[in-house]
Amino acid sequence: MAVSFLNRQRTIAAPGYSRWLIPPAALCVHLCIGQAYAFSVFNLPMTKLIGISQSAPGDWKLTELGWIFSLAIFFLGASAAVFGRWVEEGGPRRAMFTAALCWGGGFLVSAGGVYLHTLWIIYLGYGVLGGTGLGIGYISPVSTLIRWFPDRPGMATGMAIMGFGGGAFIAAPFSVWLMGRFATPTHVGVAETFIVMGLVYFCFMMVGAAIVRVPAPGWAPAGYVAPAQPRPLVTTQNVFVYDALKTPQFWLIWWILCLNVTAGIGVLGQASAMSQEMFRGRVTAVAASGFVGLFSLFNMAGRFFWSSTSDYIGRKNTYFVFFVLGTLLYALVPYAGAIGSIGLFVLCYAVIFSMYGGGFATVPAYLRDMFGTRYVGAIHGLLLTAWSMAGIFGPVLVNYIREYNVTHGVAPAQAYNVTMYVMAGLLIVGFFCNVFVKSVHERFHMRAVEAEDEVEAAPVFGGR
Amino acid sequence: MENTPQPMATGNGIKLVLAWGFVGIPLVWGIVQTLVNAIKAFQ
Repeated sequence: MAVSFLNRQRTIAAPGYSRWLIPPAALCVHLCIGQAYAFSVFNLPMTKLIGISQSAPGDWKLTELGWIFSLAIFFLGASAAVFGRWVEEGGPRRAMFTAALCWGGGFLVSAGGVYLHTLWIIYLGYGVLGGTGLGIGYISPVSTLIRWFPDRPGMATGMAIMGFGGGAFIAAPFSVWLMGRFATPTHVGVAETFIVMGLVYFCFMMVGAAIVRVPAPGWAPAGYVAPAQPRPLVTTQNVFVYDALKTPQFWLIWWILCLNVTAGIGVLGQASAMSQEMFRGRVTAVAASGFVGLFSLFNMAGRFFWSSTSDYIGRKNTYFVFFVLGTLLYALVPYAGAIGSIGLFVLCYAVIFSMYGGGFATVPAYLRDMFGTRYVGAIHGLLLTAWSMAGIFGPVLVNYIREYNVTHGVAPAQAYNVTMYVMAGLLIVGFFCNVFVKSVHERFHMRAVEAEDEVEAAPVFGGR
Repeated sequence: MENTPQPMATGNGIKLVLAWGFVGIPLVWGIVQTLVNAIKAFQ
């Protein structure tokens, strides 16, 4: 009985079901897994589990704790790539349920790791199990949203992916509040916080799994008129998930995402330090944290704004805006530092971060335009390996260039200038990748019968 | 192809308010907390 509740057939919407219930279902998942961006609030308390007021011998170091987040992001990309087809064929409810089990379970296992003061259990819990929940949860509503909103796929997926950006806004104050409730003079309260968060997130995500529905075959929104002629760069065909890997379009979009994210993620982690060093004496650490909060809001809002805009101007043009405007703004940051204009600095970064978020949110619709709706979630899963790659290279690139400059006598205020020009260079490469994106050759299209069979049979890891 | 409008199921309005409230209230709370902290930082 419980298993049949998860079955794709049980999620087919009855007539009259409102498609506007799907974005909240997706947000139930994305708001929870977006907690990953706020995991750093646990770092400092977890370095004082033994010493309580300060680190004592035997307490974990920040460098050791940093691996928890890195592992989670690595497993996000890996699980999205590996389980993408399973998610697509089994339907959104089973995927959301699995993501809830992994994500909530990851917190509970990690609580055990904190209680036993055994770090590898946390690596396994939050990093591996939680990271797998992140990957499955991230892609679980994508193709469902696209099918419900054929008229505005960018806006629909943008809403869900905006939730991933917004999850940290809820998680950070919620975690701090819970730790405050559970802390005693002899206890930091991290383990209990993990238990509560694991249970709350599991329940919240299960609400999404209960609400979500897939449209009945042949359904279309009331009044929707499918274009009589295919629009340029928007296919009406489908490409099988593993055939997409054989197309140049997949790899061009992989690089487009990777370069856009590398540039953004590299400076995201350094925004606080950068603002303090570029405007030494004028921007305090507290003010810098205010900037970072503001940039995070633009990151979230950009996800909705740019993906919705792409429904009107097209995905390719949206990425052209990111690459052209981004290049100009990255190149303008050193000038803002040179003339001492904090306002210009904040403005440049606000727009840069809105486009960083926009890059994430627009890419599912770009994939749908190229490869069709049938396997878009699974193809998106494969593409998220670009995020894992960017997550490693972005911060390393920024830190290495800054370190090189400082050790070669460059003043800290100018140490980031070369970084900004390198980031602008990355975006120029991304621009040319975008130029070369054309329609997928018809030899990669699935035959109509084949596509229908895939939908009807919905096998689990079945043969093609 | 043009689709004729389908009648909306009764009670959809309540479901929509509940569903959007369920995700919207925590999100707005989180955004307000962030804005309050950001304003404090600038003061």
